[in-house]
Amino acid sequence: MSGHDSKYFSTTKKGEIPELKEELNSQYKDKRKDAVKKVIAAMTVGKDVSSLFTDVVNCMQTENLELKKLVYLYLINYAKSQPDLAILAVNTFVKTSRVGTNGVYLWQCQAWTIVAKLISVKTDGNGDIWEVVQIAIPIWVPSQDSQDPNPLIRALAVRTMGCIRVDKITEYLCDPLQRCLKDDDPYVRKTAAICVAKLYDINAELVEDRGFLDSLKDLISDNNPMVVANAVAALAEIQENSARPIFEITSATLSKLLTALNECTEWGQVFILDALSRYKAADAREAENIVERVTPRLQHANCAVVLSAVKMILLQMELITSTDVVRNLCKKMAPPLVTLLSAEPEIQYVALRNINLIVQKRPTILAHEIKVLLEFKEYATEVDVDFVRKAVRAIGRCAIKLERAAERCISVLLELIKIKVNYVVQEAIIVIKDIFRRYPNTYESIIATLCESLDTLDEPEAKASMIWIIGEYAERIDNADELLESFLESFPEEPPQVQLQLLTATVKLFLKKPTEGPQQMIQAVLNNATVETDNPDLRDRAYIYWRLLSIDPEAAKDVVLAEKPVITDDSNQLDPSLLDELLANIATLSSVYHKPPEAFVTRVKTVSQRTEEDDYPDGSEAGYAESPAHAAETGALPPSSSASRQPAPAQAPAAAPPVAAAPVPDLLGDLIGLDNSNSLVPVDQPTPAGPPLPVLLPASKGQGLQISAQLVRRDGQIFYSMLFENNSQSLLDGFMIQFNKNTFGLAAGGPLQQPVWYFNDKIPLHVFFAEDGRMERATFLETWKSLPDSNEVLKDLPGVVINSVEATLDKLAASNMFFIAKRKNANQEVLYLSAKIPRGIPFLIELTAALGVPGVKCAIKTPSPEMAPLFFEAIEHLLKS
Amino acid sequence: MISQFFVLSQRGDNIVFRDYRGDVPKASTEIFFRKVKFWKEDGEEEAPPVFNVDGVNYFHVKIVGLLFVATTRTNVSPSLVLELLQRIARVVKDYLGILTEESLRKNFVLVYELLDEVIDFGYVQTTSTEVLKSYIFNEPIVVDSALLPTLGPASIFMQGTKRMPGTAVTKSVVANEPGGRKREEIFVDIIEKISVTFSASGYILTSEIDGTIQMKSYLSGNPEIKLALNEDVTIGRSGSSAYGYSGSGSGAVILDDCNFHESVHLDNFDLDRTLSLVPPDGEFPVMNYRMTQEFKPPFRINALIEEAGSLKAEVILKIRAEFPSSATANTILVQMPLPSYTSRVSFELEPGAVGQMTDFKEASKRLEWGLKKIVGGAEHTLRAKLTFSQESHGNLTKEAGPVSMNFTIPMYNASRLQVKYLQIAKKSKAYNPYRWVRYVTQANSYVARL
Repeated sequence: MSGHDSKYFSTTKKGEIPELKEELNSQYKDKRKDAVKKVIAAMTVGKDVSSLFTDVVNCMQTENLELKKLVYLYLINYAKSQPDLAILAVNTFVKTSRVGTNGVYLWQCQAWTIVAKLISVKTDGNGDIWEVVQIAIPIWVPSQDSQDPNPLIRALAVRTMGCIRVDKITEYLCDPLQRCLKDDDPYVRKTAAICVAKLYDINAELVEDRGFLDSLKDLISDNNPMVVANAVAALAEIQENSARPIFEITSATLSKLLTALNECTEWGQVFILDALSRYKAADAREAENIVERVTPRLQHANCAVVLSAVKMILLQMELITSTDVVRNLCKKMAPPLVTLLSAEPEIQYVALRNINLIVQKRPTILAHEIKVLLEFKEYATEVDVDFVRKAVRAIGRCAIKLERAAERCISVLLELIKIKVNYVVQEAIIVIKDIFRRYPNTYESIIATLCESLDTLDEPEAKASMIWIIGEYAERIDNADELLESFLESFPEEPPQVQLQLLTATVKLFLKKPTEGPQQMIQAVLNNATVETDNPDLRDRAYIYWRLLSIDPEAAKDVVLAEKPVITDDSNQLDPSLLDELLANIATLSSVYHKPPEAFVTRVKTVSQRTEEDDYPDGSEAGYAESPAHAAETGALPPSSSASRQPAPAQAPAAAPPVAAAPVPDLLGDLIGLDNSNSLVPVDQPTPAGPPLPVLLPASKGQGLQISAQLVRRDGQIFYSMLFENNSQSLLDGFMIQFNKNTFGLAAGGPLQQPVWYFNDKIPLHVFFAEDGRMERATFLETWKSLPDSNEVLKDLPGVVINSVEATLDKLAASNMFFIAKRKNANQEVLYLSAKIPRGIPFLIELTAALGVPGVKCAIKTPSPEMAPLFFEAIEHLLKS
Repeated sequence: MISQFFVLSQRGDNIVFRDYRGDVPKASTEIFFRKVKFWKEDGEEEAPPVFNVDGVNYFHVKIVGLLFVATTRTNVSPSLVLELLQRIARVVKDYLGILTEESLRKNFVLVYELLDEVIDFGYVQTTSTEVLKSYIFNEPIVVDSALLPTLGPASIFMQGTKRMPGTAVTKSVVANEPGGRKREEIFVDIIEKISVTFSASGYILTSEIDGTIQMKSYLSGNPEIKLALNEDVTIGRSGSSAYGYSGSGSGAVILDDCNFHESVHLDNFDLDRTLSLVPPDGEFPVMNYRMTQEFKPPFRINALIEEAGSLKAEVILKIRAEFPSSATANTILVQMPLPSYTSRVSFELEPGAVGQMTDFKEASKRLEWGLKKIVGGAEHTLRAKLTFSQESHGNLTKEAGPVSMNFTIPMYNASRLQVKYLQIAKKSKAYNPYRWVRYVTQANSYVARL
């Protein structure tokens, strides 16, 4: 299509759509072609021409290649809105174009792309997948295509098939994939390698069972570096998702990969370098060998290659013992690291975040590159005071962090002091104090210059710093006593930090020069600091000095003039263990966020479509435990008393000791009399198949989430079986379940993520009936008698029929209601049973019924008559079932 | 590996969207755009190129006003993804000739076809236009570049990215020209971005050159090419003077560091400074380099601000072009912040000045002086009279400036790195393709303090 096509972009005056429709159905080919062009033009400028779908697709029945192409363009755009029609269209499309020229190849590619998309469209919703799959399978699967003479077609077939994330299709994929992994053409092999990773994501077991992992490992030795790179990428991904060792890098693999590295594309180099960074060299020599082969990568124009190479080198450097080698490597890494900062701003950002980490570990690496001093000096003469202070501080930090820069920093600071701008001088003195502490006995020659500015100091921190310097180096300053004395005059007015420094400095002076002058000074200071101050810190320190000096001056020397540890600048410094972890993750997102990977990586299993019967309750599907739909399938019920209906408070005392909800599972376990004290059941415990669960939260209310659940008792434990069905289009995860406060004391973690769905479920009392509820006849009689009549509750269960005493008793016994005795009263059977719920609360039961006649009279006696309604519900349920 | 790739317009419209792994919801485009548009975290006003929202990591780069975005859930190499986004843009540009919202929309089938080959299941396969040619069958629909707003000669180098300013050519690498056959030609651009800071006394405080040798080949049959640089190029400073600047007395071109495209063979580089390569189709950097060796800055700036009576001051700006008269700088813009209490400025250009404009930006209190061109060796002066709304605080030089300058100088380079010759392996005697070797120097940060 050439320039003159632009006329199709001009608009027509009247109703466009009807006009186009007419033209599309014209009997003349040329007119139809023009009409399709107009449609495409309208489409590309964003007009909705989807209503012309049928008309446009009809134009496909043509031999004209250009027209076909246009129809295709249209189709791929609107396939989603008209999936069914598109399927039909594509189907004819594919069938009619099975001739092997390149032009036709293009058709096939695009037709397949559409089908793949359609399948994902259809499977996104609850549509009939099979309808689509049945069309798709004849297209690919007998896989003439994966045996097509054209390697591009073979690769395409295997690539597209891997993209259809339908479990059922994977089996059809295996054979062609197997062949493609051993294909003669490298393009096919490299595509197949990635396809294994795709398949693993859908069905890991299948990949392992069919030996694809071995085939993949074989590809590491492939002679084509593209294939090697993809095999490495696929294996690395599979390894990350598997707990078993799958992709272990041996020294043999290492040498193969290092060789492939030189021939790989830039991206392949990154895959390989990142995979190799997991390799632990055996000794320093091996580490050096590795580094030697990786170092040339630092010259690459691709920033990702450079950073991955830096990572690899840094890791190996840990093992290298020779300081010469390490220094040399640092020297080699510095220029490329700086060059990264000439890249696009986005890359600069990543580079700077990484460099930040690297210099914390290897502070000297960029020492050669320090060029900012002159800049800082310039800034230090600006007008903005805060800015100036920051510039001076920055110079100080350079000096402290970088030994080789310290001298230059000092000379810059001295130049600044000479400018005699008050706040610059003060700030400079503060940082010089730190420099003295960092490099003892190195720069003291400048003290004289500092002393010249003494009079101008008026800020507490600067004053304190200067006084500290005088005290610390009293023996080198001839007139130290005079200098200090000048400060002492204003001692009472000074702020605390200056007072403290004056006190200490005077003590130091006295210890170093125990002459008369200092002696008088110290007395004055101690007096001032003990008697005339109300600052407890100052007073305490003064008393300590005083006692030290009066009891044992030698000890005072040891304490006050003790050697000070050399300081370091650890501002902006990360915790060493975190730093090490981040350094191991150089050139990954971790190094940009400065967070360990687990802090932000949330692995989500790709949404794979499963059909209804897979969903529930297939206990064998433990392999999908991480799949969100199953995460909350079974839950435990820490039980306690009563149900959603609150008991009347007046009757509560009868419910015996602690009615308060006790959320501790162990305690509750004991209460309920379970020998398994841990009443929390592991999530992955298989749930046996059972009858369908009642729906508590219909999908219509839960924004597509349907929740069904029921309490059941099994093997002496209580389970809360829940079924979550996601009928929405989106992935739901991060489920949490909360049992709201209730008299049973059911408590658990926090609930469903936003939005929260609330639903109610009645607790059927019979799940609580304990195995040890059987009573001796005598006990039964005694209990019955001992309970007052007010504790007897009676209820008619009109809908219930007892046909056989035997069967009924068996049924009830299965729910831990135990038969005590029976008698006949006229034509009626009277049955006595017992049951017990947690905390040993017994239920004494009398059932009266005529066999085969609807209507059962049920009387119970229990210390907790408030439970009666629940009990009746339970027994009615049991008798009816 | 990445999960999705998409391109958004400045308004947030989806232009291209490709999902590779299905583990990130489709709403990611909206989440991303809202986050970027209203970024307000960590006290920053602009979103960083990489950020995480609810476990999804978003990467983005801005290219010619479009947002190229990738998402992932895994701990991938961020430089890989960001580099990839740049490369995708370059590949698309190679194919479409120009990269605009319109060209992307018109060619979306081709773009998707490219994306399917460039990335498989989130793993980069190739970003080489040369390699892609064998797998891509759609032909580009060329958007007529004549319809685009006319670009000044310099704007071609001003596409925003620092290292890859892009070549002048806006024709597709793959599409045939209207006349039928492609013209055999090859473009080699030596592009240098220079940063210089002058102190008030005219002393050079810092100077740096970021250079790139960029190539775009339209040669058929992929002949081998030899590119010879000056023989006196050395790499890596000998080191000791990390602080000061050793004089350029030796005359050698000393690069701090450089790197090369993977197609480049360096077998003879150490010997005679020649690079040999078989240039792949499409645009690519043959070599990037960085230099802090002292060089002769192309412009000297003299700036003066003086009080001239109460509430008045005068600014004198003088610019001298210190490059040969054979070269001409264009689109020069000189800017200078004035004291915040400046209320009015009147300008006085030198007599007979043509192609100059002056402006006082009221809101930012900035003086602007634009010159269409400056011939090498020429000198230009601007006088400006300032009126203040209050008494100055006494130190005018601290409250005005620094002066910064933007310019482009075609056919000139500051580093003296040169392509001595460009040799194309001959297929036949008649074969003599067009060779375009061009130099251009641009200001990156060119600042003089007062």
